[in-house]
Amino acid sequence: MARIGVFVCHCGENIGRTVDCHAVAEALAQVPGVVHAVDYKYMCSDPGQQLIKAAVAEKGLTGVVVAACSPHMHEKTFRRAVQSVGLNPFLCEMANIREHCSWIHEDRAKATEKAIDLARMMVEKVKRNVALSTVRIPVTRRALVIGGGIAGIQAALDIADGGAEVVLVEKEPSIGGHMSQLSETFPTLDCSQCILTPRMVEVYQHPRIKLLTYSEVEAVEGYIGNFRVTIRKKARGIDESKCNGCGACIKACPNKRIPSEFDCGLGKRTAIYVPFPQAVPNIPVIDRQRCTLHIARSKGKKDACMKCSEACQRGAIDFNQQDTLVTEEVGAIIVATGYQLYSIGRDQPKEYLKGYGEYGYGTIPDVIDGLQFERLASASGPTAGKILRPSDNKEPKTVVFLQCIGSRDPAKGIEYCSKICCMYVAKHAMLYRHKVHDGRVVVFYMDIRAAGKGYDEFTRRAIEEEGAEYIRGRVTRLYRDGDVIKVQGFDTLSGSPITIDADMVVLATAVRPQPGIDALAQKLSVSYDRHGFIVEAHPKLRPVETNTAGVYVAGACQAPRDIPDSVAMASAAASKVLGLFSHEMLEREPTVARVDESVCAGCFHCERVCPYGAIRHKEIKDKTGKVIRVVAEVNPGVCQGCGTCQATCPSKSIELQGFTDAQIFAQINAFVG
Amino acid sequence: MEKGNFEPRITAFVCNWCTYTGADLAGTSRLQMAPNIRIVRLPCTGRIDPVFVIKAFERGADGVIVSGCHPADCHYTAGNYHARRRFAILRELLIFMGVDPRRMTFSWVSASEGAKWRDVVNETVERVRACGPFEGWRSLGGGLT
Amino acid sequence: MTELRELARKLLSDGQVKVVIGYEEGPRGVRPLFATDGAAADRLIFDERCVQNLATYLDRRRVHVARLGKPAIVAKPCDVKAVAGLLRETQLKREDVVIIGVRCGGVLADPKSLQRLGPDTMADRCRTCETREPGLVDYLVGPMPEAVRGQSGRDAKIAELDAMTPEERWSFWQKELSRCTRCQACRQVCPLCYCDRCMADKTEPQWIESSPHPRGILAWHLIRAIHLAGRCVDCGECERACPVSIPLGLITRKVAQVVAQRFQHHPTDDPSVPSPIGTWRSDDPQEFIL
Repeated sequence: MARIGVFVCHCGENIGRTVDCHAVAEALAQVPGVVHAVDYKYMCSDPGQQLIKAAVAEKGLTGVVVAACSPHMHEKTFRRAVQSVGLNPFLCEMANIREHCSWIHEDRAKATEKAIDLARMMVEKVKRNVALSTVRIPVTRRALVIGGGIAGIQAALDIADGGAEVVLVEKEPSIGGHMSQLSETFPTLDCSQCILTPRMVEVYQHPRIKLLTYSEVEAVEGYIGNFRVTIRKKARGIDESKCNGCGACIKACPNKRIPSEFDCGLGKRTAIYVPFPQAVPNIPVIDRQRCTLHIARSKGKKDACMKCSEACQRGAIDFNQQDTLVTEEVGAIIVATGYQLYSIGRDQPKEYLKGYGEYGYGTIPDVIDGLQFERLASASGPTAGKILRPSDNKEPKTVVFLQCIGSRDPAKGIEYCSKICCMYVAKHAMLYRHKVHDGRVVVFYMDIRAAGKGYDEFTRRAIEEEGAEYIRGRVTRLYRDGDVIKVQGFDTLSGSPITIDADMVVLATAVRPQPGIDALAQKLSVSYDRHGFIVEAHPKLRPVETNTAGVYVAGACQAPRDIPDSVAMASAAASKVLGLFSHEMLEREPTVARVDESVCAGCFHCERVCPYGAIRHKEIKDKTGKVIRVVAEVNPGVCQGCGTCQATCPSKSIELQGFTDAQIFAQINAFVG
Repeated sequence: MEKGNFEPRITAFVCNWCTYTGADLAGTSRLQMAPNIRIVRLPCTGRIDPVFVIKAFERGADGVIVSGCHPADCHYTAGNYHARRRFAILRELLIFMGVDPRRMTFSWVSASEGAKWRDVVNETVERVRACGPFEGWRSLGGGLT
Repeated sequence: MTELRELARKLLSDGQVKVVIGYEEGPRGVRPLFATDGAAADRLIFDERCVQNLATYLDRRRVHVARLGKPAIVAKPCDVKAVAGLLRETQLKREDVVIIGVRCGGVLADPKSLQRLGPDTMADRCRTCETREPGLVDYLVGPMPEAVRGQSGRDAKIAELDAMTPEERWSFWQKELSRCTRCQACRQVCPLCYCDRCMADKTEPQWIESSPHPRGILAWHLIRAIHLAGRCVDCGECERACPVSIPLGLITRKVAQVVAQRFQHHPTDDPSVPSPIGTWRSDDPQEFIL
């Protein structure tokens, strides 16, 4: 027999002013099954909660309905209260008569009538509530970090230093990400490689970090605490156990004219190469698309060149090496795949993106982007740190920087601000002026976004101390005219057009997520927006979690982000992971689906609609071991409780605990009926 | 009963993460709206069974609202996509069987769209008011009850 | 016919199957045949009176048929689509059934009449059918028939209903459904209504009242149409089985039109094509959503 207690809260004046709470309590007292109905000023207060606890004990309540604010506010509060006196928390629910009633209506009679209906609906539901106990699942205390840039490195170090093992997967031959390509970092202008490489080495040497470079995530199965990840270790062509990083193979390679990806096409590398001198691991990789031997092999011809192998003293070159697949069991995954820069070219990777025809679609020589400028400015770059323009290696005397290329421009397909460009353009302006004392710097900007610590001072310094000319306006056209690039822009503060003859133009192009992020996100079942940025669980309160339990996010793959924020986010994600690992067993909400095997027809519509793959096939056998039926079975650790399975099931053999058909049926009938 | 004076009764099936929270926001923002709807909270629009809508009409609702997260924003990643297909069919079927389409509202209301929820509610109430009471379904004879 | 009988005899004598499910001449017209030996196989026929969808005998409810052993089934293109549905929904394994597909140019609306097959005597659903030869088969028999097309009275009726006001449509359906006795013949004959415990028989809670009163009748037909959306192969059996001639084909056809128009899905005998309910596209039409 149901013995429901109803507690109607005045919430001070918030509810009481519009809803006649006493009348609500009186009306609910008449509902069959309600044995206790009172109203009180503040149910969530200590005395308020005492009222509930006392009633549970004295009246032997089998269920509690608190008619008050939104369950999002205080459901946990009241569930804890009833649990403390021995009533299962899932037998306590709230009727929302504040946000959904007293605060949105003025007519006292109608608001009271509605409050009575809402409370009554919840009473009818709670009569069908069933005690539920927490689901417990084991946790594998190993983490997978996808992406070896600064965010991935920080996360891996924090987790490993916290005592758990980490597998760090990086698709490039070396970790370091874009930060390793930078010359100096804002707002301190310290050398990027100098602060990064110690971290990279620490990762490489850490006893609890397993580093898989030149590798990519191929498949992900499982669920929080229990993921099984398949990783493809691409074939480097080098036996890592034999290579000692001497570099003889690289010196011997005759193919030296390949544009270097690390130098953004401004420098050259060999076919067997290490991306940069401080690469971790310092083991080369053979580019099979460019290696003479591999090209010949792909055409069925014999091995034409083996100079690297001949130069290698340790026999570490292995032309026959194949990709290998590695399986790792982990309990948590952090996505830290970073960013790429938008290109102004005609061919775009997504149909909603447009290039800049007005800037020549990237065909004008000496129009470069920010990362290319970093490579020019880098001491270890293709020009040994001298600012020389790519077309003729001359030192440019007039450099024009354009901010917001692609960013903040719905016409180009990117509506957001890329956050870091104002800062790095100011940085570039200063680096250039430091190196070319008689150089002229012009920056075309829309706004200056320098909100971080020391950031505004930094940009001010570029303008006030380092002589950068900042013009507020956009550039409508770039075109080559002999030796110079004509920059046609507009100065909005003076109100007149302006044309500058630039020796070099640097575009601050938009920050976008890495290619292939969509496919990776789908493998992980995490949400991503139309640009590919990973979607966080809650934009303010849960910035490093995704909506997929056990998968976290850090760095620029979630939104454009600078180094300090990427590092902070990585540490935050690591702390979430370590928090997850601190449990012996993981507790999951019990509002999960459950199959009634006696009536399940084994059609598996549920399996097909489940967003989490929580349904598996279960064989029902007879005494001789013969399979007589196959039914659906829910993995309670994976099920997140959406209930799509139940709405799809034709026979209603699967029920979402906490939102069963009986409960919803009762709620519907309580209002109209 | 005169159509113009009657107060429609509308059952709203909403998802917890988006529309329910959006309705909370409407409340926190004190956006005033018609008092005719009663919300049934589900974890996701994916859980909303077509039979809920049928039962609501059967039992006396004059109108029904089904509302959830925008596509791509579903807390459970895909529940609203399944609901979208399911309700596209239910709606056309109910119209075919003689239910006035004005009695049904389907909407995507996110957790930040308190004002939109207010508009959905008010607009639905007026639309259903213009249809009059849904005597047809409510008055169908039943078995024991 | 000879081709079919010889094939059936061979399958039985080889031991490849234990029963051939097909059609035979019965005392009151064409009826299903469960041939377990050569003599019975010689009675197999196929002509334009073979309206029954024999796929229904392959579903989990027919334990008495399953007991006969591995079956071969004589199936028209629409029937093969139902077999594909059973395969798609894990009710059957491909290796557990031999499909003898028959080429079909349509069946009679009234199989008991002695009419010739023509545009006006053909079943309404056949008049718009595009599939004369099934794809998912182990064997294919029968001559390729001529395409006989007709005007679909069903589609015309649907268009007429669509043009009515909601009140007029409501009246139409309440009148048609008023004859329903909840005999559930429509469910019993449908190959895809195989659930061991139908939702209509669930009593906790009782979403669909079971008595033949208008409330439960409407709920029953609505829910059945929803559950079959994207799965119904338009074999016409439900309407044929209805003892009070409710035009169920109008409902199934309307839902099929909605599914085709919105999700570009048509009933198919390719079991690898997923059902449209249970799949989705990010750009699914949502013009009806605020």
